[in-house]
Amino acid sequence: MSEVKMALDGDNKDLSASYMMWYRFSRNPAAVIGTLIVLSAVIFAILAPYITPKPEDVGAVVNFRARHLPPDAAHWFGTDKVGRDIFSRAVFGLRISLLLVIGVLGISVPIGTVLGLAAGYFGGWTERIITGLTNVMLAMPPLVMALAVSNLLEPTLMNAMIAITLLWWTWHARLIYAVSKSVASEDYIEAARIAGAGPMHILFREILPNCVSVISVKTTLDAAFVILFGATLSFLGFGVKPPTPDLGSMVADGRQFMPDFWWEVLCPGAVILYVTLGFNLLGDGLRDMFDMEG
Amino acid sequence: MQQNPFTAILTRLGTFVLVMVVLSIMIFVLARVVPGDPARMALGPTATPEQVSALRSEMGLDDSLPVQYVSYMGRALQGDLGMSLLSQRPVATDLAQTVPATVELVLVAVVIMFAVAIPLGVMTAHFRDLWVDHVGRLLSLVGVTIPSFLFAISLQLLAARYFGDWPIIGRMDHGLGFAGGPTGLMLVDSLLAGRIDVFLSALQHLALPAVALSMAGIGQITRITRSAMLENRRKDHVLTLQSFGVPERVIIFRYLLKLSSIAPLTIMGLEFASLIGNAFVIEMVFSWGGFASYGLNAILQKDLNAVTAVVLVSGLFFIVANLIVDVLISIIDPRMRRKEAR
Amino acid sequence: MSDALLKVEGLDVLFTSYGQTRQVLRDISFTVGAGERVALIGETGSGKSVTAKAILGTLPRNATVSAGRIEVEGRNVLELPRGARDALKGSAFSLIMQDPLSSFNPVFKIGTHLDDVLRFADSREGVKSSRAQRRARIAAVLRRVQLADPDRVMNAYPSELSGGMRQRVLIGLALLHQPKLLIADEPGTALDVTTQDEILNLINTLVAEEGMALLMITHNLGVVRKVADRVVVMRHGDIVEAGPCEKILAAPEHDYTIGLLDAVPPLYGPRVQTQKISAQAPIVRATGLGKQFGRHGKRFTAVKDVSIALREGEIFGLAGESGSGKTTVARMMMGLSRPTSGTVTVEGTPNPGRPLAQIVYQNPGTSLNPKRTVKQSLGLPLKYAGLTGAARDARMAELMALVRLPVSYLAKYPHELSGGQKQRVAIARALAADPKVLILDEPTAALDVSVQKTVIELLLHLREELGLTYFMISHDLSLMRNFCSRLAIMLRGEIVEEGATPEIFADPKHPYTRALIAAIPVVTDDEERYKPAVSPEERAAFLVKTTD
Repeated sequence: MSEVKMALDGDNKDLSASYMMWYRFSRNPAAVIGTLIVLSAVIFAILAPYITPKPEDVGAVVNFRARHLPPDAAHWFGTDKVGRDIFSRAVFGLRISLLLVIGVLGISVPIGTVLGLAAGYFGGWTERIITGLTNVMLAMPPLVMALAVSNLLEPTLMNAMIAITLLWWTWHARLIYAVSKSVASEDYIEAARIAGAGPMHILFREILPNCVSVISVKTTLDAAFVILFGATLSFLGFGVKPPTPDLGSMVADGRQFMPDFWWEVLCPGAVILYVTLGFNLLGDGLRDMFDMEG
Repeated sequence: MQQNPFTAILTRLGTFVLVMVVLSIMIFVLARVVPGDPARMALGPTATPEQVSALRSEMGLDDSLPVQYVSYMGRALQGDLGMSLLSQRPVATDLAQTVPATVELVLVAVVIMFAVAIPLGVMTAHFRDLWVDHVGRLLSLVGVTIPSFLFAISLQLLAARYFGDWPIIGRMDHGLGFAGGPTGLMLVDSLLAGRIDVFLSALQHLALPAVALSMAGIGQITRITRSAMLENRRKDHVLTLQSFGVPERVIIFRYLLKLSSIAPLTIMGLEFASLIGNAFVIEMVFSWGGFASYGLNAILQKDLNAVTAVVLVSGLFFIVANLIVDVLISIIDPRMRRKEAR
Repeated sequence: MSDALLKVEGLDVLFTSYGQTRQVLRDISFTVGAGERVALIGETGSGKSVTAKAILGTLPRNATVSAGRIEVEGRNVLELPRGARDALKGSAFSLIMQDPLSSFNPVFKIGTHLDDVLRFADSREGVKSSRAQRRARIAAVLRRVQLADPDRVMNAYPSELSGGMRQRVLIGLALLHQPKLLIADEPGTALDVTTQDEILNLINTLVAEEGMALLMITHNLGVVRKVADRVVVMRHGDIVEAGPCEKILAAPEHDYTIGLLDAVPPLYGPRVQTQKISAQAPIVRATGLGKQFGRHGKRFTAVKDVSIALREGEIFGLAGESGSGKTTVARMMMGLSRPTSGTVTVEGTPNPGRPLAQIVYQNPGTSLNPKRTVKQSLGLPLKYAGLTGAARDARMAELMALVRLPVSYLAKYPHELSGGQKQRVAIARALAADPKVLILDEPTAALDVSVQKTVIELLLHLREELGLTYFMISHDLSLMRNFCSRLAIMLRGEIVEEGATPEIFADPKHPYTRALIAAIPVVTDDEERYKPAVSPEERAAFLVKTTD
């Protein structure tokens, strides 16, 4: 058994690790498409003011003569109930979604990683408290908690972000905890300890590098979930304040005019789908690249 | 090491009680630290300061937080969850009316989830890299990436366009004049009352929301099943059976399927909270009169007693689902039975 | 030979991975006649398991048979349709699987596996059988492999049986349909040496009684002598030498075979090396060590009243099978684990400010961090020893020279190194902190025998050069005979025998020691003759029960 495995993997010593990763990544059309989608979304979001046909429609512009126009050459995604260009608003909405991703994951991933690493390596009460906390958080519907937190405080994007962040770290902590715990029992960790290394060195120099692949896959997939989550919150009316465009609230607005003006729902919806699909494909591609199970 | 399933279940129950206690403390504290005076909100802007302070002491708001918590939990355990500001009725009464609708929706969604996702996962794994695999994976990818509200609205759009009279909101046709029954589950009550017309109407109403609610789970469970099947496919025990000429279909549908059903069940338990969260969206889109709709309104109106109760019931849902998952897994996996006893 | 049961002719197999194709078998030809016992022997990467898989038709997806024939009873199985090929399984030839734990699906009972195998084999042959009939036949086969309570075995889940029992079931599985050829892939390798010995005896008995032919895949020359009439030696996908067993073992022709035989540590005879006993004072003394695990209620005693005086400059060996507590003792000696009772005192002169002892682990795959380069791994102990900059680089170069690795390897990651090279890096890391004592935790157990030889030579050389003391734990008594100056044998947490290595081997006092030595597969008849005798009662008293 092991011999065949060796013949398959271990004997590729002449190939560099990065070549093998690149090989797996580039042979995966889904991963390449995902990368292109994510890149295009990021570029659109950054350049939104310069490439959208009507950047001024982001504000409280009213143009009743042009309202409820179906998609055409001038308005790719049609116009909404007050005559604003949905395409321009959707691109700016994308911007907010990506900012939300950066904000939420930028805070919750490091926190979750550090707590997960610590719980897995130190064990004892550290482990019990952190895993206990994540288990409790798991029992709460994240959407309900986010709604409750953001509404009881004040339904703003900032509060929604805080609410999501408060919940999100637990998923990372759980995952990193599992990896950290298995890595912590390896001989090389004990060897580092015998050599005199302190906990900081062991956590961040010995264990963390072994978690990088897991973290990057999880973070990429999470980007999609955060976008979904943020869109759902704003769809339910707990997001940015009008007139700032947000993909979720644009769908909610358009819903009143269903099914006649379907583009007002489906076009912003398609943008959400486009970017979440991109992150998912990229995440799956990374997973294949790192040759991870599951 | 001899197993003792009884102690194992007790240990799990202990964990769940702990989860409920911590959860209740968190939501209780959260509900009490929000800006705004619940007594003032209950009485409206015209009330005098004397009336407000009278209500405050009546509601126990002048006591310290721990005292308030203990007395709240004491009452909650006896079924008294306080009054809802919104409906002006006891929260417990509101819940009793709304929870069955959600239970029905969630149960049917879970059934659809497993009925679709497990075969799909098995097929995609078996026909790996063939067209079945590609289609199945695309479907599961869309399942996990599409926002549930968008999918729900799209279903409504499609139903309205192609099946003009298909109901897209509510639980049943009120013209049928059915008052409900003992369980609160439309499908069960209508059959108990012998009303096939009501049953069919309820089923028709349930179809779209249940499908919409199951979509995310279908995506996820298909993926998990597929990767578990592929992973287990490489194990030595498959080689053992192959080496002795046991047919591929038996290896897949008997040996691998049972082993590979552990992972999706586990995920189902872990992700059950997300399912409940999604129910909030689905119930809103389909005007489904469940406890999630109730909770959403409660949150919007800052109806604190109702919000607290809704969060606790959500936690309870999660716990019951996980107990069921635990039992199922320990039936499937003999190793788990022994591990838990230890 | 037209009467050959199995005839492999000019077999070429290619593996494709990462867009590259490599040939893993080149022109493999050999035969197995009826009733003949043939061994395929080779080290890691020799292609012996790939050959077995090609015969069985269980090659991985990325493998292709590019040339050659595999004839079973005169028919080329490579040209047979899948169904016809499946029909051969179990009746024409049967496989004895290697790893007894993972060879059964953990969520099905043993009996379910056996029943399905029998049911489909029956239906292929058009035989109708009821569940009860099959159960009776299975029970009969299980009794053949000395499992006296077939009902209990059939109703057990795989995790509820011991490794030895599962291995017996796997053998029984292979016997279900009275095959003419048994193919055994390293049976018992994952088990203790005494259990492995019983398994090999069982296979030999069955093959003789049923008149079956045997194709044994193994890496162990001792196993070859025990079970084979003819040997095929493989290396890197080629057959280097083939011939009758006695001839290959006594007078090998190919350099590779000669080297391989030379690398096997002898148990008795003129080739045995004896290490000098140290007369120096003890450097570490353990007195009355005891260790219990688990919380109150379910306490489990791993080590009981162990006293060891490790003399400076000696190689002390602590031998025992898995679960004997030898690793726990080593960890307590190093201060990595706190004894429940007893004390460990350092009596020699420790290096000022440096740790007295360092450890070399068993598995080179897990003793180096896969995400850190050799330089980073080596740099860590040096950093805490206070070396920086040029001094550190110089010391690293010195360490690499000590373990005979080029300095350029400092930039490599562990996965770019072979098992032996990884173990050398692990030794260099242990030496970095200038210890007086090295704990060797089965340092060569995961290595091929030819690599083991070079690592052992390196360790002996380093001891001379640096004046080190070794404390080795291992289950491999033939290795310890040649490597250790003193030996202690552990059984169930206690030391049952202790003394100078030559004396223990010349005259083992404890029956368990005798059983252990007797179970070691050796390569010459002379060694076999010198082995101590063990009565069946003694075996039964001290060995783990593998039958029921």
